[in-house]
Amino acid sequence: MADSRQLYQEVILDHNRKPRNWGTLPDATHQAEGVNPLCGDRLQLSVKLENDALQAIAFEGESCAICKASASMMTTAVKGKARPDAEQLIQEFRDMATGKLDTTKEQHHLGRLTVFSGVRDLPTRVKCAILPWHTLHAALNSLGTTSTESDDDPMHEPAPGGVA
Amino acid sequence: VRIIGTAERKAAVLSFAVEGVHPNDVGTLLNEEGVAIRTGHHCAQPVMQRFRVPATCRASFAFYNTMEEVDALVSAIRKVQKVFG
Repeated sequence: MADSRQLYQEVILDHNRKPRNWGTLPDATHQAEGVNPLCGDRLQLSVKLENDALQAIAFEGESCAICKASASMMTTAVKGKARPDAEQLIQEFRDMATGKLDTTKEQHHLGRLTVFSGVRDLPTRVKCAILPWHTLHAALNSLGTTSTESDDDPMHEPAPGGVA
Repeated sequence: VRIIGTAERKAAVLSFAVEGVHPNDVGTLLNEEGVAIRTGHHCAQPVMQRFRVPATCRASFAFYNTMEEVDALVSAIRKVQKVFG
């Protein structure tokens, strides 16, 4: 079991207090809204894609500390990156949060984002950490809106027997 | 700490919000202290909008709870406030 006091590290608390890249981009080329209807987390993400790179990115919304810090650190991590590199980070972050990627043993490009690795042991909080990344994926793929309860959410599992 | 719902003869169910801290974060940190509460919408989004909160924390007390356990809840909430300082 992860120690959640470790999860609430200074770096996460700092990004929660002073989120980086907060706001909207007037000249955004890609936008998406991410919601978690179960806990009420909601964020709007705007991206300016130029020459297949994320020239600018901004977010705003209402969410818990884990979600807000994850979004803030995500924007600083992907800003200026080529789109394929950003997509790779999205995949790696999702894999880390869901326990598929062991960042202490396997190669990755997450850097400081590994402060979120502890959420894998807090099932109720995994979606909080993943939502911004899920929303970025939706924005880059022009999906408009996304929800943690939709079928394309990596955490979403269809009801047994396929009954919705 | 703001208590939500202050009816005179209310049941032993206490909804509250810790200023500046999202209820989900309160719940995770209280869990770490061995205090189990429920957090979220409680299937009552319209009420959340009415009280202008994103969600609430909710502690339920029963006949088997002791005063020590109530104190543990209070000191755990104080710890949350300290973490989020």
